[in-house]
Amino acid sequence: MNKNNDVKYKVYRCLTVAGKWVLFAVVAFFILFPVYWIFISSITPPGELFKMPIDYLPDHPTLDSYIYLMENVGLLAKIGSTVLIIGVTLVVGTVICVMGAYAFARFRSKAVSAAFGFIVATMLIPEVVTARPLYEFMQKVKLFDTYPGLIILYISSVIPFTVLILRNFVSEIPVSLEEAASIDGANFAQRLFLVVLPLMKPAIATVCIINFINCLNNFFTPLYYANGIQVLSVAIVQLPLRDNMYGVPWDLVSAMGWIILLPIIIFVAIFEKQIMDGIMAGGVKA
Amino acid sequence: MIDKKSLQWIAWVLILPVLLLRGFTTIYPVIKTVFNSFYDIRILSGVNEFAGISNYLNVFKDQKVITTLKFTGIFVVVSMFFHIILGVGLALILNMKFKGRRFLRTIVLIPWAMPSVVIGMAGKWAFNNDYGLINDFVRRFHPDFQLNWLINTGSARAAVISLDLWKDLPFFAILVLSGLQFISSDIYEAAKVDGANAVKSFFYITLPLIMRNVLTLCIPFTLWRLTGFDLVYSMTSGGPGEDTSLIAYRITMEAFTNLNVGYAAALAVLLFLVMAAFSWFNMRFMSRFED
Repeated sequence: MNKNNDVKYKVYRCLTVAGKWVLFAVVAFFILFPVYWIFISSITPPGELFKMPIDYLPDHPTLDSYIYLMENVGLLAKIGSTVLIIGVTLVVGTVICVMGAYAFARFRSKAVSAAFGFIVATMLIPEVVTARPLYEFMQKVKLFDTYPGLIILYISSVIPFTVLILRNFVSEIPVSLEEAASIDGANFAQRLFLVVLPLMKPAIATVCIINFINCLNNFFTPLYYANGIQVLSVAIVQLPLRDNMYGVPWDLVSAMGWIILLPIIIFVAIFEKQIMDGIMAGGVKA
Repeated sequence: MIDKKSLQWIAWVLILPVLLLRGFTTIYPVIKTVFNSFYDIRILSGVNEFAGISNYLNVFKDQKVITTLKFTGIFVVVSMFFHIILGVGLALILNMKFKGRRFLRTIVLIPWAMPSVVIGMAGKWAFNNDYGLINDFVRRFHPDFQLNWLINTGSARAAVISLDLWKDLPFFAILVLSGLQFISSDIYEAAKVDGANAVKSFFYITLPLIMRNVLTLCIPFTLWRLTGFDLVYSMTSGGPGEDTSLIAYRITMEAFTNLNVGYAAALAVLLFLVMAAFSWFNMRFMSRFED
């Protein structure tokens, strides 16, 4: 009798584990297969791309599409401008957001709290509401289609989330640490840079990682506030069309797509934990 | 200690950069948009005159906008419905204790991190009749299957919604998961002792406990759907006709392509009011829900 129950339990266990792996396979397939399809399309010669059924293991893998992008579409320049804009945005944006977040956490006067409320509330304003006047303003002050102009808009787009997360983080650092430091004779700057900043490292890493992805995703800003400067997200929709108006130059699109995807996949694989923490802390939109 | 009155100026020096940048990109443009919405500004024909509320009245006569609003409504409702059902399901899968969990949690971040335009461009090709991924799949079971997804209204709408789900469902699930993790396993143990099976403990324990979290999540996710732009821009350009055009896409086209600036501003103001009303209503609803 007892033995029978034991067998039953073992079968039950096996079925549960098998069920879990089936669910795992279904989810993994839905997410990874399209990504894999984009990859193999990018290394398939264009001629072999336009046929059915799709060959999921290309017979003649080639890097032609990537070489074409480099030689004819100026891929390297586009990667350069993307890296430049995102790099400056991350550095400058993080510095001013750390300053702001520290002040918002430690100074709780009515006016300061109102300023914080304002910054968080601006998250609600959709881009389309501000787009046209901002576009005209940027042209008037000669910031349209310039790196400083784009960087200002990129930084502005990361401010609400970054300030919110960092401010909540600073609030949890005990004030007593700073008080102890000031008894030891530390001035304001020393407390900020030597006491608080080292403790903020993990939070800063998290917001930088998420902002990197958000900036890479940003499409509206570089599409409407620039012409000559092309970042990768805009470049993919403006690849030279072939055949007819409705056709997609899929060989080039998939190669360009994969160039954007590669850093993302590497990032996600390395920083899975930080990204999860960041998402759960702030509910970020990419 | 730190909150001394004499140190307040330091706070403002530290806050000033973020406040100025954020103010510069929001306050003036919002005021200007409200102002523009009462003017008839058409750059192509050089018109710029006061128009009262006629821009607002025109909204309800504009067939394009009516079609757009219809799809925006369908898009929000259908997408959110599946977000809730499948999102909770995926969150439960991500919460399962087994060896593949970490891998699964890593790969669900990929769609979240992928730019919508990349998904949109890939989707345009995936739903292509002759060479697309979707039809290739279907033809492995029904060899003669023909459907040009993005040409027909119904299938184009289904395609846009399914890609939206592909991108954002994992993100929704991760946020539901953060609520699930707070439920202690003791409750399930106790329920098991009392004879509850897995289905019962889901409906009587898990669901009530995460319900508030899920409903709260629906607020930003609905707002994001209302302002969706990238996916439609890259995948269908609103076509066929205006059948997959979302309101944010329509506004942008009026503002930047048709250069009908006053009218676009009126639409933008209406969108903003709808979003504000929706958030306010939900906040009220949620606070009542809490009691």
